[in-house]
Amino acid sequence: MPSNQTKLASLFAQAQAQIQLPSSGSATMNSTSSSPVAAEPPAPSLGIINYTSGASTNNLSPEEIKKRSMQFAPISHQSHRYIPHHPKGQPLSDPVEEEPPLFFLLTTYISYLILIIFGHVRDFFGKRFKKEKYFHLVQQNGYAPLTSDFDSFYVRRLKARLDDCFARPTIGVPGRYVTLLDRVTKDHCQTFSFTGTTTDCLNLSSYNYLGFAQSEGQCADAAEEVIRRYGTSSCSPRSVAGTTDLHIETEDLVARFVGKEAAMMFSMGYATNAAAFPSLVSKGCLIISDELNHASIRFGARLSGAVIKTFKHNDMTDFERLLREEISQGQPRTHRPWKKILVVVEGLFSMEGTMCNLPVLVALKKKYKYYLFVDEAHSIGAIGPNGRGVCDYFGIDPGEVDILMGTLTKSFGATGGYLAADKAIIDALKLANIGYVYAEPMSPPVLGQIEAALRTIIGEIVPGEGEERLQRLSFNARYLRLGLKRLGFITYGHDDSPIIPLMLYAPAKMPAFSREMLKRKIAVVVVSYPATPLLTARVRFCVSASLNKDDLDTILRACDEIGDLLMLKFSSGTGMEHGEKPRWKVEDVIRKGVMDAKRDVL
Amino acid sequence: MAFHDTLVYINSTVESISAQFIRIPGSAIVLRYVRSSYQNDPMRSFLELCLFLFAVRYFLASKYSFAKKDFIKLSTKEVDDLVHEWTPEPLVAPLDEVDQAEVDKIPVIIGISGPKVKLSTGKSVMNLASFNMLNLLGNEQIRERAIKTVRENGVGACGPSGFYGTQEVHIQTEKDISNFLRVPASIIYAQAFNTISSTIPAFAKRGDIIVADSAIGLAIQKGILISRSTIRWFQHNDMDDLERVLQQVHNDFKGQPLTRRFIVTEGLFENGGDIADLPKILELKYKYKYRLILDESCSIGVVGKTGRGLTEYYNIPATEVDMIVGSLATTMCAGGGFCAGSEYVVQHQRISGNGYVFSAALPGYLAATASEAMSIMQSSPEIFTQLLANTRAFRAIIDKMNYMYSPSDPDSPLIHLQLNPEVLESRKIDDEDKFLQDVVDECIANGVLISRNKVVPSQEVFPVESTLKIMITTGLTKRETEKAAAVVKAAVSKVMSKVPKIKH
Repeated sequence: MPSNQTKLASLFAQAQAQIQLPSSGSATMNSTSSSPVAAEPPAPSLGIINYTSGASTNNLSPEEIKKRSMQFAPISHQSHRYIPHHPKGQPLSDPVEEEPPLFFLLTTYISYLILIIFGHVRDFFGKRFKKEKYFHLVQQNGYAPLTSDFDSFYVRRLKARLDDCFARPTIGVPGRYVTLLDRVTKDHCQTFSFTGTTTDCLNLSSYNYLGFAQSEGQCADAAEEVIRRYGTSSCSPRSVAGTTDLHIETEDLVARFVGKEAAMMFSMGYATNAAAFPSLVSKGCLIISDELNHASIRFGARLSGAVIKTFKHNDMTDFERLLREEISQGQPRTHRPWKKILVVVEGLFSMEGTMCNLPVLVALKKKYKYYLFVDEAHSIGAIGPNGRGVCDYFGIDPGEVDILMGTLTKSFGATGGYLAADKAIIDALKLANIGYVYAEPMSPPVLGQIEAALRTIIGEIVPGEGEERLQRLSFNARYLRLGLKRLGFITYGHDDSPIIPLMLYAPAKMPAFSREMLKRKIAVVVVSYPATPLLTARVRFCVSASLNKDDLDTILRACDEIGDLLMLKFSSGTGMEHGEKPRWKVEDVIRKGVMDAKRDVL
Repeated sequence: MAFHDTLVYINSTVESISAQFIRIPGSAIVLRYVRSSYQNDPMRSFLELCLFLFAVRYFLASKYSFAKKDFIKLSTKEVDDLVHEWTPEPLVAPLDEVDQAEVDKIPVIIGISGPKVKLSTGKSVMNLASFNMLNLLGNEQIRERAIKTVRENGVGACGPSGFYGTQEVHIQTEKDISNFLRVPASIIYAQAFNTISSTIPAFAKRGDIIVADSAIGLAIQKGILISRSTIRWFQHNDMDDLERVLQQVHNDFKGQPLTRRFIVTEGLFENGGDIADLPKILELKYKYKYRLILDESCSIGVVGKTGRGLTEYYNIPATEVDMIVGSLATTMCAGGGFCAGSEYVVQHQRISGNGYVFSAALPGYLAATASEAMSIMQSSPEIFTQLLANTRAFRAIIDKMNYMYSPSDPDSPLIHLQLNPEVLESRKIDDEDKFLQDVVDECIANGVLISRNKVVPSQEVFPVESTLKIMITTGLTKRETEKAAAVVKAAVSKVMSKVPKIKH
C-alpha cells in the first residue's frame, strides 16, 4: 500500500520536525529535515541542571519516533492552536447548566431505589445464610465489625458492580496513549486476573494537561541527571536536614512562575492542603469554603480547628450574604468578632470544569478584608495564556491573592504541591507548617522534572515548545467541548476549561459508557456519588496537549455512537451559543469545529 | 336583627364549607376519625389537634433553626458598619528575631544528602541528621533501577490510583512489601506522613474507641483527631497504665452497643527512640478484644535482624498486628508510605483511605526504588549488623557524657539526647531549645551535622521534650562514628561551660 506508506512517512517526518522545533512553521520544518546533523547548540545551563535543549533528538529511528508520538502526538496542523483571552479583570459569567428531561431524572431516581432495595435484601439474607462472605460486617467473638454495613453499603452495592471501570492498572507513560494491562473477572469484579496482554488506549483520563508525562525529552533527561547527582531522596524533613540547593532553586522558580515572592513545596498535593490550614487558622477563625472544594481542603480545614462555613458553588451572591452574616454576627454564642476569615476556593474545579470567579472574589476582598486562598491544583499550567493559572487567565495581579496553592502532579507530569505567598508568610510557615517540619520532602528527581517543565513553559529551554503545549491544550479543550455540545450532550463548566464533564445521570450508564469507550480503545473516567451529587453521575474528560485533532475526532465519533446507543444526547440547546441547535451530524461537527472553536462568544 | 343576620350568615358559611369538605375525596375518613377519637372528651380532641399542629410546624421549620437561636437581626447599615469596623488579625504573624534566626539556620545541603555532605556555608560535615541509615542513597543498583523506571513510566503517575494511576510498578511494590513483612496484602500511599492520617479514619469512626500512647507522633494524632473517635490516652510505654485504661473503658462502656476498639502506638518512637513492648500489647489486645494499629514509620528498615521492624525484633508473626503502617521514605530512600495487613484491611482502604482515593499515586520510580531497597535488605542483612555496631560505638561514648542522657533504646540507631533533670535545676537554662540549638551549631562548626528534634508545639496534643536527634548511618565507618560522638560530647561540654550555675 504505497499511499499508506507515504502517509506514514510524512507523519514521521512531521513528528521529527515537531520534536526538533516544535513551534516552527513549515519553512523551518523543511530546512531542518534537509540538514539533520546541524551543529548542536551548547546545552543551556540555567542553574543546577544541564538541559539537553532537545537538539540531541536529531537521528531518531522510526521506532523511537513512533514511541514518542505515542506519548505526545505531532500537531496535525498549525491552525490547531488557541490563545485564551478573557477580558482583563472582567467577572466570569456562569456557564449554563442544562437540566435533563424529567424522564431521565425519574429513571435515575428509580435506578438508585432499585439498587438500594436489592442491596438491603441481599444484605439481610446474606448475613444470615452466607456468613463466611459477610464475616467483616457482623460481630465476631467480641469484636465489632471492622466496617459497618451502613458505611460501606454504597461501595459494596453500587461501586462493586462497576469495579472493572476503576483502578485499571497501566504500564508505561500515561501520555497521549495509556497502556492498560488487560484483565478479566470471573466473580463479578470481586477479583481480577491478568490476561498478559495490553491495550493502548487514547488517554482522556490522566491529569496530563500539558503532556509532560513523557519518558523522553528534556524533563525525563533532567530527572535522570538529578537521580545521578542527588539520588532519589533527601532522607529527612525539610526543616531538619532535607533541604538541598535543588529544593531552594525549584521553589524560587515556582514562586517566579506564579508571581509570588516565595514558595514552599511538599511531596504530596493532597498533603499540601492537609498541612496548610492548621498553620494558617485556628480556633476563633472562620474558613469560608466553596461547597465543592476538594477533599484535601476539607481534611485540612477540619484539622485546623477553625469554624467552617460553605457557600453554594461559585455563587457570589450567596457568598456575600454569608460573609455579611458572619462578620456581623461574629463567633457563635459569644458574638466575639472572628480573628480572621480565610476564603478557600479552587481555581478550576476538578469535577465540574468550572473556574472560580476570581475578579469578584478579589473585589469583595477589598471590602470585607478576608484572606484569599486559591487552590490551583488543576488550573496551574492548564489555564491562562501563559499557563500561570487563574490570575493569568483573568489578568489579575497574583499579589491580590494571599496564598496560591497548587499541585505539580497535573500539568507538569510530576508530583507534590506548593504554597506560594509573600516571603514573610512562607518564612513563618517554615516553623509552623507540619508538612515542612515532619513530612518527607519532595524527591529530587521530581524537582528535576518540575524545573524542566517550568523552564519549557517559560521558554527558557526548547524555545517555542512551551507555547505550543499551552496553545494546543486551549484549542483541544475548546474543540472537544464545542463538538460534544453540538452532538447534543450536556456538559458542565467553562469553555476554556480542559476538564469536560459529560452528564450521564443514570448509574447504569456509567459502566456502559466506560466499557463502550474501552471497546473503542479510549480510556475515560466515570464518577458519581460521593464525588458528585447523587443525580449527576458523569464521565470526566481531561483534555491534554498531547492529543491532536485526529485523536479528538476519533473521540467525537466514539461519543457520537455511544451517545445514540445509551440515549445520552438530551441537550435542549440552551447552553449553545449563536442560537445553534444541538444534535448535529458528527461529520458536520468535525468539518466546522476548527474555525468555530476559535471564535469568541458574543 | 343584625345579630340574627350574622348568625344566619355564619350558619350558611359553615354549611357550605362542610358541604365542600364532604366533596373532598377522603374527607369521610377524616370525619369518622375525628368522631371516633372525640368519644365525648373535648380535651382528647384538643390534644390531638395540638399534636397535629406541632407536627406541621416541625416539618415546616427550617433545617438549621437551632443554629440561629442567637442570631441577632441587624439592619443593612449596621452590618455595613460592622464590616467597616472589623479588623482581622494578620494571616500569619511575622517572625521575631529569634524565630527568623531559626529559619535562617535550617541547613541547606549542596548535592546529594549522603553520609558526608557539603553545606551551603561551604562547610563539609558528617551527616547524622538523615534517615539514610543504611547508606542506600546513591546506591548504584537502586539508582539504575530508578532511572530505568523513569525511562519506562515517566516521572509522575498523573492521576489517582483509582483512575489509571495504578501502574505495574505499584502492584509489584505492594507485593514486595507483603512478602518482605510476610503479610497477606499491602497498599501504598503517596506520602509517609499522610499514610496513618488516612488509615485511622478509614476504620475508626465517631463512637469508636481509640486507646493511644501519649508519645505518639503528630501524624497519628492528626489521624485520630480526624476520625472523631473517642480517645483515651495511656502513659508512654507504661503497660500497667495501658491495662488500667483498657479496664476503665471496659467498665465505662459496659452494656452499651459494641463499637470498634483500637490500640494505636508507634514501633520505634520518633520522639524518643524507644521501642514499644509489643508482646505485652498483643497480650492485652487479645484479652480486651482490641485491634492494633502499629506505626512502624521509624522501625521498618531499621529495627530487626533484617529490617522487618518490630515484629521481627520480638520474633512475632506480623499477621498478629492488624495494621502495620510504615514509611518508604526513611532507610529505603524512596518516598511514600504503606499500610500492611489482611486482604480486607487493604481492600477497604482502596476505597476509603482518603489519602489514597483523593491523591495522585506515588511516582513509579519511587515505588521501584523501595522494591530495590527491600531486595538489598534481604540479600545483604549484614548492613544491619554494621548499623548496630555503629550505634553501639556511638552510644558507648555518648552514654558517658555529662549533662545529657539518652532515653532511646540502646540498639536504636535513632538516638535522642535530653538534658539531665539535675542540670536543669543547677544551671540557668532559660530556653532549652536555644541551648540545644547552640549545641547543634557547635557540632556543625566541628564537622558533624545533627539536629534538634523539631516539632510544631501548637499542633502537638502533649508537650514534646526538647531533645537532640541523631541518626547513625553505615555510610560512616566505626571510627568516624566514634569521632562524631566525641564531637557531640565536646560540643555539649563547651556550650554548657558558658551557662552560669544557679547559686543556692
